[in-house]
Amino acid sequence: MSKELIRLRDLTMEFDGERILDRINLYINDHEFLTLLGPSGCGKTTTLRIIGGFLNPTEGTVIFDGKCINELPPYERQINTVFQRYALFPHLNVFDNIAFGLKVAKLPKEEIAQRVNHMLEVVSLKGYGHRNIGSLSGGQQQRVAIARALVNQPKVLLLDEPLGALDLRLRKDMQIELKRIQQAMGITFIYVTHDQEEALSMSDTVVVMDKGRIQQIGKPEDIYNEPKNAFVADFIGESNILDGVMLEDYKVRFFGRTFQCVDKGFAPNESVDVVIRPEDIDIVEPENGHLVGTVTSVTFKGLNYDIIVEFKGFKWLIQTTDYQPEGATIGIRLNPEDIHIMHKSEYSGMFGDYSSYSAEYDELTADAADEEE
Amino acid sequence: MKRNKSVFLSVPYMVWMVIFTLIPLGVVGYYALTDPDTGVFTFDNIKNLSMYLPVLGQSVAYSLVSALICLLLGYPVAYYIAHRQPLTQKILYMLVMLPMCMSFLLRTLAWVGLLQDTGIINNLLGSLGLARVQLIRTPGAVILGMVYNYLPYMILPLYATLVKIDNRLIEAAEDLGCTPLQTFARVVLPLSVPGILSGITMVFVPAVSTFYISQKLGGTDTVLIGDLIERLFKQGDNPNLGAALSLMLMLLVFICTGIMNRFGGDEEGGVIV
Amino acid sequence: MKKMNQWLTVLIFVFLYIPMAVLIVASFNTGKDITQFEGFTFSQYAELFRDEDLLNLLGNSVLIALLSTAISVAFGTLAAVGIHSMKAKMRNVVMNLTNIPMTNPDIVTGVSLSLLFVFVGSGLLGQRESLNFGTLLIAHVTFGLPYVILNVMPKLQQMNPALTDAAMDLGCTPVQAFFKVIIHEIMPGIVAGGIMAFTMSLDDFVISYFVTGSDFVTLPVEIYTYTKKPIHPKVYAMFTLLFALIFILVLAMNLMQIRGEKKRKSDKVDSKGVMIARRVVAAILAVAIAVGCGFLIFGNRREKITLNVKNWGMNMADGTDDTLDLIAAFEEKYPDIDVKMSYYESNEALFSQLSNGGITVDVIIPSDYMIDRMIKENMLLELNYDNIPNFSKVDEQFRNPAFDPENKYTVPYTWGTVGILYNSKYVSEEDVTGWELLWNEKYAGKILMIDNSRDAFGIAQYLLGYDVNTTDKAELQACADKLSQQRPLVQQYVMDQIYSIMENEEAYIAPYYAGDCMIMMENNPDLKFYLPQEQGFNLFTDAMCIPTCCKEKDAAEKFINFLCEPEIAGANMDYICYATPIGEAKEHMEEYLAESEIIYPEEEVLESGTAYAYLSEEISRYVENLYQEATKISASGSQEEESEGSGAVVVALAVMAVAAVLLMMPKKKKPIK
Repeated sequence: MSKELIRLRDLTMEFDGERILDRINLYINDHEFLTLLGPSGCGKTTTLRIIGGFLNPTEGTVIFDGKCINELPPYERQINTVFQRYALFPHLNVFDNIAFGLKVAKLPKEEIAQRVNHMLEVVSLKGYGHRNIGSLSGGQQQRVAIARALVNQPKVLLLDEPLGALDLRLRKDMQIELKRIQQAMGITFIYVTHDQEEALSMSDTVVVMDKGRIQQIGKPEDIYNEPKNAFVADFIGESNILDGVMLEDYKVRFFGRTFQCVDKGFAPNESVDVVIRPEDIDIVEPENGHLVGTVTSVTFKGLNYDIIVEFKGFKWLIQTTDYQPEGATIGIRLNPEDIHIMHKSEYSGMFGDYSSYSAEYDELTADAADEEE
Repeated sequence: MKRNKSVFLSVPYMVWMVIFTLIPLGVVGYYALTDPDTGVFTFDNIKNLSMYLPVLGQSVAYSLVSALICLLLGYPVAYYIAHRQPLTQKILYMLVMLPMCMSFLLRTLAWVGLLQDTGIINNLLGSLGLARVQLIRTPGAVILGMVYNYLPYMILPLYATLVKIDNRLIEAAEDLGCTPLQTFARVVLPLSVPGILSGITMVFVPAVSTFYISQKLGGTDTVLIGDLIERLFKQGDNPNLGAALSLMLMLLVFICTGIMNRFGGDEEGGVIV
Repeated sequence: MKKMNQWLTVLIFVFLYIPMAVLIVASFNTGKDITQFEGFTFSQYAELFRDEDLLNLLGNSVLIALLSTAISVAFGTLAAVGIHSMKAKMRNVVMNLTNIPMTNPDIVTGVSLSLLFVFVGSGLLGQRESLNFGTLLIAHVTFGLPYVILNVMPKLQQMNPALTDAAMDLGCTPVQAFFKVIIHEIMPGIVAGGIMAFTMSLDDFVISYFVTGSDFVTLPVEIYTYTKKPIHPKVYAMFTLLFALIFILVLAMNLMQIRGEKKRKSDKVDSKGVMIARRVVAAILAVAIAVGCGFLIFGNRREKITLNVKNWGMNMADGTDDTLDLIAAFEEKYPDIDVKMSYYESNEALFSQLSNGGITVDVIIPSDYMIDRMIKENMLLELNYDNIPNFSKVDEQFRNPAFDPENKYTVPYTWGTVGILYNSKYVSEEDVTGWELLWNEKYAGKILMIDNSRDAFGIAQYLLGYDVNTTDKAELQACADKLSQQRPLVQQYVMDQIYSIMENEEAYIAPYYAGDCMIMMENNPDLKFYLPQEQGFNLFTDAMCIPTCCKEKDAAEKFINFLCEPEIAGANMDYICYATPIGEAKEHMEEYLAESEIIYPEEEVLESGTAYAYLSEEISRYVENLYQEATKISASGSQEEESEGSGAVVVALAVMAVAAVLLMMPKKKKPIK
């Protein structure tokens, strides 16, 4: 990609003795779409607010274009923000909201009008200039907020859960819209969300955070396919995580069997976490399976069925398009590329067990994650 | 609860308000338009009002100046309170409210003790070897009395609107390039207009009609319209002229508040609490 | 910027609390003057608790506040529910109605209600006492209601309308739904509105001032009359106690709220509003019961006859400064009579109060010319002199005076002269030549002028050499011009406030009644009294009369008779220092007073004094208007301008009325959504 634009060096943040950020190191390239992903309280919004200049880090530096900008107030940074729930000015109409930054910069009237009108077109709000903020729908307000930030032609746009308040359908549309805008304008987006799907579908780079620390940085595919630890594996998609032992390169043993895999570079006989994605598991006749188990529950999910299968007292989640009745005995096969090996971490044993699986579980956690700061 | 039936619950209230709010105003009108001795219809009282116009003008001027000073003093205070921790906010709010619960007559009297020629301030100046100053019985003293008594009426609605301003709006303005001063001018100030207007109204109305403050702190040429009304009713034995003056005062206040409401837009300026 | 804000805030709080600090310090002061701290004492608090009247007044205030709040809350809550279910248009109209008492200046509300009560009560129903406890209560409810409604309405609007439906779905009747569900939702609004109505009522002065009758007076109204006289420091003690009480109450409420919030966060059992509401209701109930009990005792006491006496301020011995407590002595002698004193500042104020009607007064003590007027206007009752045997003690020369030639209505109380009191420390003797001293520019700003039309005009008339009883309008106009010339030199127009001002040397020169001057001279030895013999001066007589609005004539005559007992009259004069018409009384008073030439001038001096006579209603009002213009309005508003501008004023007022109505109309709302 292109040159480095922002670098966070050993960023640490403490509130009332509580450590919110713990030595964050990260660089962001020009024109990059980077997403900070994590559950609520993981420090992603704090990171964003430090970049925006609304918070001063307890320790560490923010380097922008080669210069430390720790002391620079927000209004002197070439960075603009799309705020959570928009923060549009209720006393100004759509046009004046978008023109706000330009007017502060004292640009000539004609230029302001021209740029604002252009921006209105970009966000598909042509003709809405005179409207009151209160009279707009959520999606329209969202686009005004984006236009208001973008019209200033910032080097970097910070987006703090910008789609959080929209319903599912609108969110999907806006994801595409945002990506389109980012590509059209060619500027850096730093995007904060707790929605892994959003992160994977839009970003060039995803930064997974938890407990104030970066857990993994990488392209969406890498993050999904090669999670670094149990937390990432669980947070990004569904995973069955098992205890295993790496016998030697390309050979892992779990459930009393040795499997071929594609990972190497582990110490001989190292204890590891084994990740198996529910959609990667092939269901076969019991006699052909590497393992044989009993179906204990079946949930229809539209595209597929989520079935829970019990192997020797341990429950796995398997996603399959073939219907299997409850109580059926099935066999499964695992291909070497479907088995992901991770070092043990503090998260080991916390995730990936579906023994207490219920269909509502996902929704509950999703709701809780909405309450970000 | 059927909606149309529960409307009748307000009937006693409405009857009460008509009898004790609207009709009394009609009676004031009746008195204003009749002769004190004969009870015959006359415009004399109204005609006599022209004499009192300078007093009315003076009352309006004093109370407008007071309202403005209250605004200038009250705004920073309200702003300061609105940006404290919730607990501190509560305590400061209470401290602003508290003087309003205490007898304003005695509190004003205390100012007399402070300001008079032989008062506390002048005694202090004297003992420091400084020249004594004429404080009391000046227009300044009357305005001080008004500001003192009605400042809480300015701070409270201002605080109510300021505390409601979303902090993210302020961050958004800074994000868009506003210095703190610009942020204040372009975002905070416009958003607090309803509070400003309601504060000005709440200071202006009692100030323009006060009689106690001017009686105690004013001199012989700081007579206000309220003094005259009080005197006409309580000493002058001319309730009809008093009624005419009251009528004029009332119209003036209604026009002022009406204009304020026009400017204020739809948003409610948050009455006290 | 932030630092500046902080300092400014601190300064403003200092500004807000300094006067209160002054009052609190004054409550511990051994001296009476608020400006001089002479020593620390608790005695003012002891005084306070000895003063039953003051405590009763406080009880009255609390009682009226509780009653009016209870009524406002009940009416207002129902009304808010009703208004809430109205169509938008109707709701707007009603809310505008609700806003009238909120927007209207208090003084206009007070004036309009008092005019209504007098108009209906005295005018239409022929009631004697058209201003009474009931009217005061009505007034308080009227201004309390909007607070309840304006606080309850938002809560109703915030309430989820499905709640009522849910309650009815679960089997509640509408009334049950109201008491089981709605009332809990709007309780915080009801409590907030109730508290506001309560505090407003408790501290209301302006409106109460206009609608208070004689039977029930609240504390703030009485404090107003206190502040017109030298104020007793026990009032500061009461202020301090009330301040402490309210401070603790508010603090406790806040603490409870904070604790309630914490609790709510932890276990979410009880909603904050309900909890506070319960406590506040409990507190209010407790106070109500306490006051109720107090009122019962107070009520029992009222089975006695109440005698309403209206007097000049500082015009009857009250037990202070080691004098006789005359009222107490009278009540001891006649245990079934309870004397209630109230005060007026001038003859004109008394006349105004009586002719406005609405009050009960049994005994008044006006001056000669005013008695003349009252007799002519049939405002006095003939006395039964059989009930006043002590009338025989009145010296011959004071019987059958000019204002009551057949002596049917009056018993003389005091007599005296009006002269000039001056401070010899600041006023050089050579300037003390006559009434013109009051126009001497050398003493600008240090001159007080007597604040009633008759005495003020009298002084101008003596100075200009006119007859004090002239009815020549040109002469009267000349007097008004003279007074208007004097205005820039005058520090204040005062009556009873004169005491502290002269004694403190805040002013140096003032015309006043000889007796009062005598008292002030005792308190400040630099003060001297001067009677302008050559120009003439007023010789007045104050006499006791019974007005037509009297209810207890027998008791009133007993009281008058009591005051004529020589020992009593003598002891009374020790306090008020006026001259008594009862010769025997001189034997019972302090010698230096009985022999004072200021109080009892020589015969030949008295010859140059003149008495005021009643002129006519027209002239009285003419003089009153001239006085008002000369002393209250800037001199420029002369007669010619009046006739020119008067037509315009009528038109302007009409235009203003239209504008006000137009502006009150609901504004067209911008489309939202």
